[in-house]
Amino acid sequence: MSEDNVVIRLENVSKTFTIRDKVSGNLLKKSWAFASGGNKRRIEAVKNINLEVKKGEFLGIVGANGCGKSTLIHLMTGVYKPDKGGTASIDGTYIRLSLGLGFNGQLTARENIYLNGSVMGVKISELNKNFRKIIEFAELQKFVNTKLKYFSRGMRARLAFAVAVHAEADIILMDEFFGGVGDERFKARSDEIFQKAFVNGRTIVHVSHNMRTIKQYADRVVLLHEGECRGIGSPDEILDLYRETIKVRRLSMREE
Amino acid sequence: MAQGLAARIYTIIPENNRLERIWLLAKTDFKIQYSSSALGVIWAFVYPLMRILIYYVVFSFVFAKDIPNYGFYIFSGIMIWMYFQEATKGGLKVIRSKRYLLENIRFNKLDVYYSSILTNLIGFLVNISVFLAMMIITGLPITWKLIYYPIFIINLMMLCLGISLILSTINVYLKDISQLWELVLLLMFWINPIFFAKQKIFNMFPALLYANPLAGIIINSRDVIMYGKDPDWFLVGYNYVLAGSILAIGVWSFNKFFHKAIEKI
Repeated sequence: MSEDNVVIRLENVSKTFTIRDKVSGNLLKKSWAFASGGNKRRIEAVKNINLEVKKGEFLGIVGANGCGKSTLIHLMTGVYKPDKGGTASIDGTYIRLSLGLGFNGQLTARENIYLNGSVMGVKISELNKNFRKIIEFAELQKFVNTKLKYFSRGMRARLAFAVAVHAEADIILMDEFFGGVGDERFKARSDEIFQKAFVNGRTIVHVSHNMRTIKQYADRVVLLHEGECRGIGSPDEILDLYRETIKVRRLSMREE
Repeated sequence: MAQGLAARIYTIIPENNRLERIWLLAKTDFKIQYSSSALGVIWAFVYPLMRILIYYVVFSFVFAKDIPNYGFYIFSGIMIWMYFQEATKGGLKVIRSKRYLLENIRFNKLDVYYSSILTNLIGFLVNISVFLAMMIITGLPITWKLIYYPIFIINLMMLCLGISLILSTINVYLKDISQLWELVLLLMFWINPIFFAKQKIFNMFPALLYANPLAGIIINSRDVIMYGKDPDWFLVGYNYVLAGSILAIGVWSFNKFFHKAIEKI
């Protein structure tokens, strides 16, 4: 742990992807495009981000679809490497929660809990102790030995969240995790956890379209727009700014 | 310098639950392989036996049985081969099949490769025990030279780990590597002394004994388990150097290119 309690640090972080578009037409055209690289395109998903997240902080990330939010999460976790000149570091164990990912559909809830927990560094003996708590938190008592492929999205989300909470990840990164799932009861329980997380000194990075959660819990919010950081500040400040950018964007789209 | 070395040694010695985790990953994968079939793990016994039976019947016709105990000859070679084939093919897929963990949780990414190598070891050990049981049943002598056998298992695991890591790296730039690797496997299947007597191949192409990292392992392991002979120690040393070099290249390339590998999936 560094002295200044910074757990995630991004310095001059940019991320450019090179992709090849599919070429339509005959074989000659295709081979020429392949050889010359004429169908190559560079996409700057994230541009020059500087950001520090402190231990115990709740950071919200907002922005329109395709503005680079998910890429930014991947850069934070170190799964993506930033372009030359930028550095990204993360300190502590983390788990990234996103919908549809994170579990193996061929495995039962029990097997997934043990696998994910173990990979996160929790000993099996400890998982034995916490197993019931995890199942109860996720309210999946009737589905312990059911394969995940039969689970609904909401059930998966509950399980992932329960594992993240009980495996005691230092940092929880949520990528539009609650988007459209979880009933009011589950939301209320996750709210409880958000509050407790501060007490335990856990760090949360929350990418969301749910302004209510961001407004209520975030210490700071980052606004991304087309890969650039448009502002970092208090929820009220940034959410106003966000509404404005959306308005401007809608207007400019109408003009086009 | 000293600090860097200490850090490197630290990553080799397992911290907290690392061994437990690798074993759990391996065990779970083994279960998944068979969980969707009705017979389940029984397939791990039935499949290799059936395969060997088919080869035995077919090749006994072709080669007029110029090798004594031909069934055991094939079995001893093919269990090495099946491990090699399954482990390298599994290793090539591992980033894709373990993406759900690699992307979401912080852990040593090499662990998924270790576990992939271990998963196939379970099946391999099943084959070895079936082989030994059949030797006992048919009255072939098992000698104390069997204690050398683990030398070849470890050699084989090093080789497969190295090749898996190299193939995963190539996969970043060449998507067709899995098809190409199938072809390489097909070729290797026929230039290794699995069905043929080793003299048949290596009298014609002596270089193949050294150019192909699997040949020495098959020959030596067969001598030890089936014939009760000492292994050719020069060949053992040579194969270890070869597998070690391949593994070193694999680890180096994996560390350098892993990020690109996961981005492109």
